[in-house]
Amino acid sequence: MTLKTWQKNGLRMVAFLLVLLMLVLAVGHYLMPQSNRYLEGYTAGGILGEDFDTIDVLVLGDSNAAQGIAPMKWYDEHGITGYTYAAGWMSMYNLYYRLKQIYEEQNPQVVVLCTAPAYTKKGSETTMQSALGDIADELLPLLRFHDNWKYLTPGNLLTEKDYSWRDVNKGYTPITDVAGRPNTDYMYDTGVSEPIPLLVQFYMQRILQLCADHDSQVVLITVPAAVGWNLARHNGIAAFAEANDVPYVDFNMADQNPGIDWTTDTADGGTHLNWLGAQKVTEALGNYLLTHYDLEDHRGQDGYESWDGDAQTYRDQRTDIQTRVTQNAGIV
Amino acid sequence: MAYNSFPYLCIFLPLCWLAWALLPQRYRPVALLGGSLVFYWLMAGTYTVWLLLAAALTWALGLWLGRLQDLQAATTPALDPGARKAAKKSFTALQKSLVAGGSVALLGLLVWLKYLPFLVRTANSLLARLPMGWQIATPTLVQPVGLSFFTLMAISYLVDVRRGTTRPAVHYWQVLLYLSFWPHVVEGPFDRWGQISPALLDPPKPDYRAFTFGVQRILWGMMKKLILADRANMYVKAVFDDWTQYSGAAVVVGTLLYTLQLYAEFSGCMDMVVGAAECFGVPLAENFRQPFFSRSIGEFWRRWHITLGAWLREYLFQPVIVSKPMLRFGKWCNTRFGAALGRSLPVWAGLLLTWLAIGLWHGAGWLYVVYGLYYFFLQWLGQAAEPTLLRLLPRLPQWREHRIYRLWQVARTFVLVNLGMLLFRANGTRAALDMLASLRRPYTDSLLIKLDIRDLWVLAVGALVLLAVDLLHERGVSIRATLAARPLPLRWAVYCGGMLAVMIFGAYGDNYDPAAFIYAQF
Repeated sequence: MTLKTWQKNGLRMVAFLLVLLMLVLAVGHYLMPQSNRYLEGYTAGGILGEDFDTIDVLVLGDSNAAQGIAPMKWYDEHGITGYTYAAGWMSMYNLYYRLKQIYEEQNPQVVVLCTAPAYTKKGSETTMQSALGDIADELLPLLRFHDNWKYLTPGNLLTEKDYSWRDVNKGYTPITDVAGRPNTDYMYDTGVSEPIPLLVQFYMQRILQLCADHDSQVVLITVPAAVGWNLARHNGIAAFAEANDVPYVDFNMADQNPGIDWTTDTADGGTHLNWLGAQKVTEALGNYLLTHYDLEDHRGQDGYESWDGDAQTYRDQRTDIQTRVTQNAGIV
Repeated sequence: MAYNSFPYLCIFLPLCWLAWALLPQRYRPVALLGGSLVFYWLMAGTYTVWLLLAAALTWALGLWLGRLQDLQAATTPALDPGARKAAKKSFTALQKSLVAGGSVALLGLLVWLKYLPFLVRTANSLLARLPMGWQIATPTLVQPVGLSFFTLMAISYLVDVRRGTTRPAVHYWQVLLYLSFWPHVVEGPFDRWGQISPALLDPPKPDYRAFTFGVQRILWGMMKKLILADRANMYVKAVFDDWTQYSGAAVVVGTLLYTLQLYAEFSGCMDMVVGAAECFGVPLAENFRQPFFSRSIGEFWRRWHITLGAWLREYLFQPVIVSKPMLRFGKWCNTRFGAALGRSLPVWAGLLLTWLAIGLWHGAGWLYVVYGLYYFFLQWLGQAAEPTLLRLLPRLPQWREHRIYRLWQVARTFVLVNLGMLLFRANGTRAALDMLASLRRPYTDSLLIKLDIRDLWVLAVGALVLLAVDLLHERGVSIRATLAARPLPLRWAVYCGGMLAVMIFGAYGDNYDPAAFIYAQF
């Protein structure tokens, strides 16, 4: 069979792209961090170090969740195993692919999807750019970890990666800084609803479907954030929740507010919560989970020894953290 | 949708190329026009209306000019010499007024949208000195992307049609395609209608070699933009925004890195747009020719942003120095100051106007006026000092042929250009002077500002690669053609290496703060 010139050229281009793809995937593997500690911002990557199928509640979100929801408090008080998989600028596209990866090792009973990522995008990017960039990052690890060339040495290039690191705080990062703001009303009614971008909605629905496929129940929540959240966004999420028949708890709303005092409970003027705020939200979310789901108390059970050990470390650290943050807040 | 963005490179460009290649030959311009309008709409939204209006005016005036020329050609040969001369005079006057009217309208739009706030601010600062206390409200106008580029291209079209060097477009869409063609609408180059209209309106067949060469050029542009320019931007932004916090050495490095950033970014952007157009068989004008091998400021500006310099030379400087007022000015100078100054002063007046135009084209502000004057002063000083230098150094003409002296000239030009870059990037003229004064500060602090040592290594190695490629181009080596003659494994290794280099060493992602294309704002 004789190929025409354009067919030969087309085949040559396809072959080139395949070679390039293989190289991209191979290099991407070598650029992945040596430890799961550095897989993602905050301590989200620690979930890969948890024992197989031990997490009952998985919280997915961005930096608001990473600084706002402390799952070890649930274990300490009720024996609920939870993990906050969250990091700065995490988008719904990222969360969908990460959830797929998490389901390979865990089978959470409840997935708590924080809603801030539905509206998060960097100011310099369009929605389309943000979506394509994030999706490409997920499909091609080389793009996500490209800057790790700085940490490659001849010594670690060929060593096996160690993804067994566990986080005592289970994805939560305690912040003791206090930078308050007046308790002004940021959820005032402007009568508008900010619709979720279509592509984000599509990916949120994919998350819901993925959870349904794994028999996980989903609840949407919004972590209190005086900067970055408002009633228009609440209305947009509420409409989505209603259309998709999932429960939605917005801790910014007056009737669900866990008692956040914006003069003391925020680390940076209302954008993120500090330890004090996180304790309140975690408590309220824990009560909601206990009321609405049949979650098992794993304390003392076989297979959860590491959790008991981590809980002890958490208790040991708690007093010191509490002292520092109350001092910073000027609370006697 | 920036030229280096994922949606542009991986969606827009491939889709446009497929549409262009798969459509029958006569419909290929439709793919180009459709792509251009979609691209512009995504960039400018409703401000696209200004582009549509500018194209309509340009097309209508061009058509009118063409018809006048046809009428002149058809009617005047039959007239007696006296009547022919009179008819020619009136035809010329009418055509000149059409071009003048069109240029005023197009430039009026440019001034209205780009320069009005600057003019109002200047007027207010003058009014503030008066006892009445009058002030004019400063308008907030949005300048549509590419406004300066399509305005100047539209004017060159009208002038070229009037001069008879090109025939006008018959259809509106043809002018619209010329002005809106997406590779050159955002940052240029300033292409001439006569140069690119054949390939736009009567496209060649898709060509594998042209396509691959175009993609290679885009890749080279990406390497410059993502690896060098966006990385250098972190350092440059930190130093220029807060220069008082840093040492003199940091200001020197910041200035050098800004020169590297601007060159890598602007020439990289040109590589991307010329490469993209090459894929479609459209030969865009080159905008750079190894500018840092220039031996003088004049030569630098003939190698840097070539098409802007050429446009201003052809459509501003030359018409100005042969204009009647300037000829009268020359005669006046001749009688007052003698023959030598009588010849040179009108030329210097034209040059001053041209340098002011270059300065103001870059931005509406006094800083840019000073920027233009800086280069005018350097050029004037070079010419004015020449006789004195020759008197003091009689062997200078021989020295100028020596390699060492040429290197000195290149180094001197490089330093002067860097000073110009400092002026251009500084946050105002006062800041520029302060930064110059800060060069006397201690050179002791760390130079690791926003970038770590590995980033600085990437910049250093990247700058050396850029220099090597420019050196090869300067010697007339066509790297792409040389590479195309090599065996396939070697070629693919180079292409894959380039693509991986962009992906690995590109300054994108959470750790960097990529800058928008600088020249897109002009």
